[in-house]
Amino acid sequence: MANNKPDNPDKFPALGRALLWVEKPGGVEKIVYTLYAVCAGLFVADFLYHKHSYLAIEDFPGFYALYGFFMCAALVICAKGMRLFLKRDETYYAPRDVESEPYPEDQLDKVDYDA
Amino acid sequence: MLDWLPTAFLFFLGAAILPLLPRGPARAVLLLAIPVIAAAQVYTLPLDDTLVRVTFFGFDLDLMRVDKLSRIFALIFCIAAFLGNLYAWHVKDPVQQVAALLYSGAAIGAVFAGDLITLFFYWEGTAISSVFLIWARRTEGAYFTGMRYLIIQIGSGVILLAGVVLMYVDTGSIAFQHMELGTPATWLIFIAFGMKCAFPLLHNWLQDAYPAATVTGTVILSAFTTKLAVYSLARGFAGTEILIYIGAIMTLFPIFYAVIENDLRRVLAYSLNNQLGFMVVGVGIGTELALNGTASHAFAHILYKALLFMSVGAVLFRTGTAKGSELGGLYKTMPLTMIFCVIGAASISAFPLFSGFVTKSLILSAAAHEHYYIIWGILLFASAGVFHHSGIKIPYFAFFAHDSGKRPKEAPWHMLWAMGLASFLCIAVGVYPAPLYALLPFEVDYQPYTTTHVITQLQLLFFSALAFTVLMRTGIYPPELKSVNLDFDWTYRRFLPRLIEAIGKPIGAAMQAWSDMMRDGLHAMIIRLYHSYGPQGRISQFWPTGTMVLWIGILLGVTLVVNYVS
Repeated sequence: MANNKPDNPDKFPALGRALLWVEKPGGVEKIVYTLYAVCAGLFVADFLYHKHSYLAIEDFPGFYALYGFFMCAALVICAKGMRLFLKRDETYYAPRDVESEPYPEDQLDKVDYDA
Repeated sequence: MLDWLPTAFLFFLGAAILPLLPRGPARAVLLLAIPVIAAAQVYTLPLDDTLVRVTFFGFDLDLMRVDKLSRIFALIFCIAAFLGNLYAWHVKDPVQQVAALLYSGAAIGAVFAGDLITLFFYWEGTAISSVFLIWARRTEGAYFTGMRYLIIQIGSGVILLAGVVLMYVDTGSIAFQHMELGTPATWLIFIAFGMKCAFPLLHNWLQDAYPAATVTGTVILSAFTTKLAVYSLARGFAGTEILIYIGAIMTLFPIFYAVIENDLRRVLAYSLNNQLGFMVVGVGIGTELALNGTASHAFAHILYKALLFMSVGAVLFRTGTAKGSELGGLYKTMPLTMIFCVIGAASISAFPLFSGFVTKSLILSAAAHEHYYIIWGILLFASAGVFHHSGIKIPYFAFFAHDSGKRPKEAPWHMLWAMGLASFLCIAVGVYPAPLYALLPFEVDYQPYTTTHVITQLQLLFFSALAFTVLMRTGIYPPELKSVNLDFDWTYRRFLPRLIEAIGKPIGAAMQAWSDMMRDGLHAMIIRLYHSYGPQGRISQFWPTGTMVLWIGILLGVTLVVNYVS
């Protein structure tokens, strides 16, 4: 289905067209810097209200933020390490183990988005 | 309304009528009407009552035990059946349509079962009906996967039956009520529940089967079997401490697999396993708060998990693949599907204003209240992890990431409607949880929207997103690769067959050698005998009648001599 012909964005659904800015140069940076700003704001927010906590560790400033960040980083790095032992070819168990059924072309309602 | 009719029978009736209707909209309308009627019936049933009792070989079977715990599960099963059938409006395959009705009916029947024999019948019913949703894909892989699924599911039923029989011998009762672990009977029932609930090491059928089913079949599969098991545990084993630790492990290990899995439907199956862990921890803690947490989380979970499977299913339906390595950039032409997927992702990640936020926190609070601090820490980690792989990974790799060049059409209208309805419910539960809380088994005294809870949850989630971003931009994040990852199913898909082969080969060779030796020995003996006794053999030289007469003559002569002498 993938083709290398240039798209004609005017044919995209309006909503899809409205989101095309994410691919423009600087689009990703906008998202990333917004995320940085939100994170900074949330970290600072920890000092601005009275926290109702059950556990002593919750009172540590930014506990949830740090826990979320470091545990997720650890999760990904461990998982990446697991790949060294666990990754196998798609046909490891059987040659046609993960094959999709044939898709009837006429039922896919294909749309031509090419320029 | 319809107090005398078990809800499950409504579905079975529908399944019987369906093939008589003409193919097309008539069948699809029936598929939608049945869950609506069933939901209306369930909602209006009188509570705390056994409504239908039949006698079966001398046993009193309670087909409709209605209380708040069974009602909430039956209701969400009706909603899931409706959403699944709406999503499958385009399906013309009567096998899938009938299987969907029988499967949801059996699950609802099991939820209302007041005794263990009824439970067993419906338990097996869910197994047998659901496998057709896998086989309906009609690929070689799906056939074998369906076989493995069926063996494990039926196995769970057989173990349940063994437990029920022992239970009856021990206590003389078949009532399905709270049990204490300790006797072989309760352990067997516990293990049977655990198999369907995808306990660690018993879990692989889930990740094996759900990605192998049809586009619409997976959506329907995702709702019933495992949540039926959660309900059964809540009914039978609430407050069993071992469940806390089992549940904690269940929340933990699937998230590692989910990060490196390529098939997005299998990623969702792993995260389903992780979410079941939360519910199992709630059952294990067993307090009113915890059980409310389990029931409400099951309710919310069915909705957002179905929504996520629907959005990935729509991608599979339009592109022919659900593999992260082959997708990307679909937001351009499937923006609505993308938005629904993000809503499901926000709900499973428990963002404020989405359903997971108001349900998962009940379980975490219960863990903290009961001083299970390490468990609480694990659940918190799992919450961050689930955001990481279901919340970010699924939408990111399907709809953004690198542009795959695929430009599929937006999902069909009925899929969009099903996803839209599920999204609406996810947000409605998150924004206004009071109606859901009112359905829960116990009185709810819990306020999810406190400043502390909202800010700490946002910190957890945004910093998880930050971790993802940093790892992605530094290139540390593992790319999606065409691959499978070894899990515990390796033992029965690879190790055991190889082990049997390794043991069987020498034994077989030895047996063969032994039987060859026996055959050759016998052959040689026959030949030797033939040489001696055959027509030309040495012994047969004495066979002619003349020889016989001679010998008789000699014998007579000897007799005469003996007589004469004596």
